[in-house]
Amino acid sequence: MTLLAHAIAAAPPAPLSHEGLRGRPLAWSEAGDLGLWSTEWAPDIKLERPDALEHHRLVERICAAQPCLPVRFGTAFASSDDARASLDKRAAALHAALARVAGKSEIALTLLWREAPEERTIPSTPAGPGRRYMEGRRAEFAVRETRRARAASMVESLITELAIERQLVWHETCTSDSVAVSLAVLVPTERAPERKADLERLAAQFTDVFAVLNGPWPPYTFARTD
Amino acid sequence: MKELTAEDASLLELVDRLLNKGVVLAGEATISVAGIDLIYLGLNVVLAAVETIDKAQERRAS
Repeated sequence: MTLLAHAIAAAPPAPLSHEGLRGRPLAWSEAGDLGLWSTEWAPDIKLERPDALEHHRLVERICAAQPCLPVRFGTAFASSDDARASLDKRAAALHAALARVAGKSEIALTLLWREAPEERTIPSTPAGPGRRYMEGRRAEFAVRETRRARAASMVESLITELAIERQLVWHETCTSDSVAVSLAVLVPTERAPERKADLERLAAQFTDVFAVLNGPWPPYTFARTD
Repeated sequence: MKELTAEDASLLELVDRLLNKGVVLAGEATISVAGIDLIYLGLNVVLAAVETIDKAQERRAS
């Protein structure tokens, strides 16, 4: 039997139903004043795509019952002893992370460009193919840089308008041709609907992107301990 | 450019959270499950998201 990890929480465990992934038993492995919620898994059962989403629903259920740190999906332990040893090794960092996310949830904002990147017209010159290639590359680079600068300015505007500490915000810009900004904010759970509405209102001011809001989610982005 | 719908973007953001965020327990942890390497598993889940995007594009095109 292996244990498929879901979330770390402080002992004692919240009273949860004993149903884990695919209806298999949900286990609690306690190490000192920490514990790991996991599903008792069988090595011959392959993880499937829907298991990732079910893991998400399980983590949501655990986080609703007690403050918890989501564990990266796919992490497994050969035994409960292995799980306990892993918690013991990083107990101080895990406690600090738990204190940071307790009572908080994550709101995710994605800003998607409304238009494909504009294609710069390369002046027709009697130049040879090498020169035309270089002009083309320069034009592409200029478009990319313009978009990066615009995305960065949107992030700055959001952080300023939200009046939130920078350590409670994570963001990436221009991760693909479609995505301008991917941003996560850690907010008090009881204020999550209000802060989500704030983000929606602020993002609506940007005319060149449309906003996709998700959450409140468990604090995935802010659960790192490194 | 692949045009993302709101639904596509939500799915991709969630998959990113599940596979790339959260606590990484290493050392005693077995970073594969049932013989499936995590990288393969990650690709598999992300491919599911990409399939959704492709289907959405096909729907728009038809």
